[in-house]
Amino acid sequence: MEIDGNTLIFIIIILFLFFSSPGGDGVSSQYEFNQLQRLRNQWSTEYNEFQEMNYDSNFKNITGLKLAFQDIVDDPGVNATYPLPSKDYSHWSQDQKYLLLPNDVISHVKDHVWGTRNRESVDIYPPNITSTLLGHLELVNNNKYPRLPMPVEKFYDPPTEFSDVVPPAGDRYLDDDKPSYGEIHNVTFEKGEISVQVTHLDKVYNRFGSGERTYFNSQTDKWKLLNLRLDFSDKAEHEKHSLLTDAVYDVKNGRILAMTQSAKFHSLFAFPHYMNLQEDKENKKDFDSLKKLINEYWNASNFVDTLTMGNLQDWYDNAVYKCEYVAFFQLEPWNQYTPDQLKMIDEELNWPLGRPANLSLVPPVAFKSGLLYSPDCGLELKFGDVEGKRYEIQMRSIRTHLLFGIGLFVAQIYLLLCQMHHTNTPSSVSKISFYSFSMINLVDGSLATLYFIAASVLPELYLPLVTSSFTCFILASIFETRYLILVYASQFNERNVGILTLLRRNNESERENAPETGNTVIPDEASISGTLYGRFFFTLLSFTLLTLSSTSWPRKVRMVFEYITIFVLNSYWLPQIFRNAIKGTLPRRSRVRNEVLGVQRQNKMPLLWKFIIGTTIIRTLPVVYVFTYSSNVFRHHRDVRFVVILCLYLLFQIAILYSQDILGSRWFLPKLSIPEGYSYHKPMSAQELMEHGSSTNYTVDCAICMSEVPVYVEDVPETHKIDLQTYMTTPCGHIFHTNCLENWMSYKLQCPVCRSPLPPL
Amino acid sequence: MSMETPSGLFRFPITKLCMVSTGAVALSASVANYKYIFLARYEPFISDYKQYYRYFIFQLGCANETDVALVILLWYQFRNLERIMGSYKYISVLSLALVYTTLCLAGLNLLLNSLLPWKMLNSLCTGPLALILAMFHFYKEYTPQIYEFDILLTQPWTRRSNKKQHKWQLNDQFLVNALVIILLLNQGFSGIGCGFIGWLCGIFLDRGLFPGVDRWRLPFIERLLISTGFNDSNDAILDDADRYRDIDTDAAGGNGNEPLSLDDENANDEPARPLGVQFLDTFRR
Repeated sequence: MEIDGNTLIFIIIILFLFFSSPGGDGVSSQYEFNQLQRLRNQWSTEYNEFQEMNYDSNFKNITGLKLAFQDIVDDPGVNATYPLPSKDYSHWSQDQKYLLLPNDVISHVKDHVWGTRNRESVDIYPPNITSTLLGHLELVNNNKYPRLPMPVEKFYDPPTEFSDVVPPAGDRYLDDDKPSYGEIHNVTFEKGEISVQVTHLDKVYNRFGSGERTYFNSQTDKWKLLNLRLDFSDKAEHEKHSLLTDAVYDVKNGRILAMTQSAKFHSLFAFPHYMNLQEDKENKKDFDSLKKLINEYWNASNFVDTLTMGNLQDWYDNAVYKCEYVAFFQLEPWNQYTPDQLKMIDEELNWPLGRPANLSLVPPVAFKSGLLYSPDCGLELKFGDVEGKRYEIQMRSIRTHLLFGIGLFVAQIYLLLCQMHHTNTPSSVSKISFYSFSMINLVDGSLATLYFIAASVLPELYLPLVTSSFTCFILASIFETRYLILVYASQFNERNVGILTLLRRNNESERENAPETGNTVIPDEASISGTLYGRFFFTLLSFTLLTLSSTSWPRKVRMVFEYITIFVLNSYWLPQIFRNAIKGTLPRRSRVRNEVLGVQRQNKMPLLWKFIIGTTIIRTLPVVYVFTYSSNVFRHHRDVRFVVILCLYLLFQIAILYSQDILGSRWFLPKLSIPEGYSYHKPMSAQELMEHGSSTNYTVDCAICMSEVPVYVEDVPETHKIDLQTYMTTPCGHIFHTNCLENWMSYKLQCPVCRSPLPPL
Repeated sequence: MSMETPSGLFRFPITKLCMVSTGAVALSASVANYKYIFLARYEPFISDYKQYYRYFIFQLGCANETDVALVILLWYQFRNLERIMGSYKYISVLSLALVYTTLCLAGLNLLLNSLLPWKMLNSLCTGPLALILAMFHFYKEYTPQIYEFDILLTQPWTRRSNKKQHKWQLNDQFLVNALVIILLLNQGFSGIGCGFIGWLCGIFLDRGLFPGVDRWRLPFIERLLISTGFNDSNDAILDDADRYRDIDTDAAGGNGNEPLSLDDENANDEPARPLGVQFLDTFRR
């Protein structure tokens, strides 16, 4: 390409556009800059008020905490504008006069969630609870409590015009102008499923784009800051809720308090008061040390300066689309361990060295009881027995599964190599069904892609995932596709030929079309491999995308799709059965007899039994594991009936294959429908022979070995002592020694003289 | 006998075994995240956790990747030894050296740390460093130097006629020496210590202080070596068989009437290109 002035300007403009994207805080206009300034101001003022707060004082002008539950009971139409004339800001106590929660909920938390601990002895809780916990949750009520109004500051709104520079002031209530959010803002199911993903927040970035993160928590033995991701939905997954919350974990008592944060609820400042929702003497001390934790987090993360437009937009979205939640959890104690043992377990999980920690006996992280309350939607949900393995232990178990999977892939490669060795001639390869192997290939290829995608998602399992992906990719795109190319090439001369003709193996009908079929150009392997690889990658990509997108479908649709896909992809022997019937092999007994007689005919069964059985087992094992083992790593539901049906279906396919082996591959077709196939060994007429330039003693020159072939001529009785099996006549009328042509046909199914396709033996 | 050892691993089964297993063990240990089992330290593994098995396996796998590369290269260089001793003796000597170095290192580590108050030689090296050093003695002892060459280092950019010249004399074994030195330094003091003990083990083995080089042979291995066709006499038999089969098929081709023998279907119909070539051809053409 020639680079002149215009091109250069074009490139510079492109580069400018490329590099001028908003970096750092993500501000891209004057309006957004002002929005962000307002947000920072808001947080700074609230932080200053938080600094003045102590154990005996109420929240003042902090977003979302301006009203208490009692205020709305007294006056349902109350406005959350600071300061409320009748409100007491200088005292604090744990009841609905000061908290966002109604008294019922407070007492439930005190008695049934956090109050269930053993008062006499000291319980021991794991210091690190990174894990994903699963369980069931129940709706307590969704209409009993009035909804607390939580306004959103108007500066969050996006600009209405291009010329807007200053965001509007004031605040607004979401219910006023947007009643349509009622559906998202409610939980309508009675029972559902919940998953809680717990991660520890030990280190924070203190400025944009800095790679290093710093520890901030000086009281790790008492408090830990967590990030929680709560997903809950009904069984059929029609209604899904997903919350990201910050949380504080009380390591000594096993309590967790989580609160969502959004434009209408700045929950960060509420932790010290709300964590004290229990009758203890040390409340004041707890308040102060929690305040210290929040301060440390605030300063270490440089909270106000690292706010971005991303935060602003996320908080705005959460405020509009989601309810605010306050969640209380009580952890199950691990009293069987001493603190030293817990430390060793943690170290071993972080940095495995083979310490005697006995990781297989480590109990799951479990929530004994829990409660979710939404002040602005008036929802109360409770759950118990939510549990899951420690994250690292879960990773270890996935790793073992992956290694087992690699073993399966290697076994499949070995079996495939045996199979390829078994069918090493074009005649035998042409008996293999292209579609059988396409199905197998599709599954392997998509597995390789899925593994590869997973490798970028799970950095802990990068190595085993990439190894799996690599093995699988080699299996799919080298060995299987290579085999497919061979099969495709050997079956190319069957294109545009009807099934009946195929059953007859090139009979009269073929003869009539001789000029066309005679000119079929068989493409070389390179062009075939080009088309096949293209097709392979296309189907692979579309199938993988379909599979990936199916994971987000509603449960019912997803299950139907999954069952149908598994069923279809597991009918990989059906095309082979069909193919066998087309190509027609003899029953095993007559094959054995032929071998004993020393008649060399290439009519062995195309697939090795070792390959059939092995492949079936390798492909069914993972499905069986996923569907029958209830605590499998993929969190798949259990359905034994489906597995039994699937196994019976596979057994049925194998049984038919076996019957074809024993009884001949066409035993289920009526005799009448199977005409005779093409026979290479047939007598010639004298006239035909003359056309082929025979010599006077009725012999023809074999074009392969250049020596004479004696031919059985119908009209000439003296040639009748010649064995028909010694020579072969091709459909195009050329004559060769049986040995010569059979040898040649193991390389190519083309006539050596005129290149017209030959029917396989 | 040519001066240079032929390149490649044809007829070097033990060298091949060592190279492949060094890489394979390291790779599988790292995929399975079990690399740490090859670490051997008195404190805390032996003193606190009583994990004596570490003494027996620390030489079998390398914990860091540079060591894997160096050890594989060194095994390749040591194929001279397999050529001199023959595969069977080579593997016997290897196994013997492995046993002696393991015993020496583990015993010393245990004794020094439990008897003496201060921690000497707390951590042992990972990977077959000691074994390599023992074999290095054999290599130096039995491989003749073939050639040597000088590297002249002259100070550039000076016009004076009496340039200062450094002369650096190297021989054909300098690659092995350099690799061994890097390997020794790679694990710090424990590497140097363990390497020295390993080297002493090699000398003692060679001089007969540690008995067994002449008499000890691994049982059952010889049969394995023969059955995989590495033995010379066996190869001759195979060759003969091939030749006879060729003659057979020629004869069969001559008079087409004669039916071919039963298992000749595969032999005759073998495609011209072997499987490996076919795979490569997929991408090449």
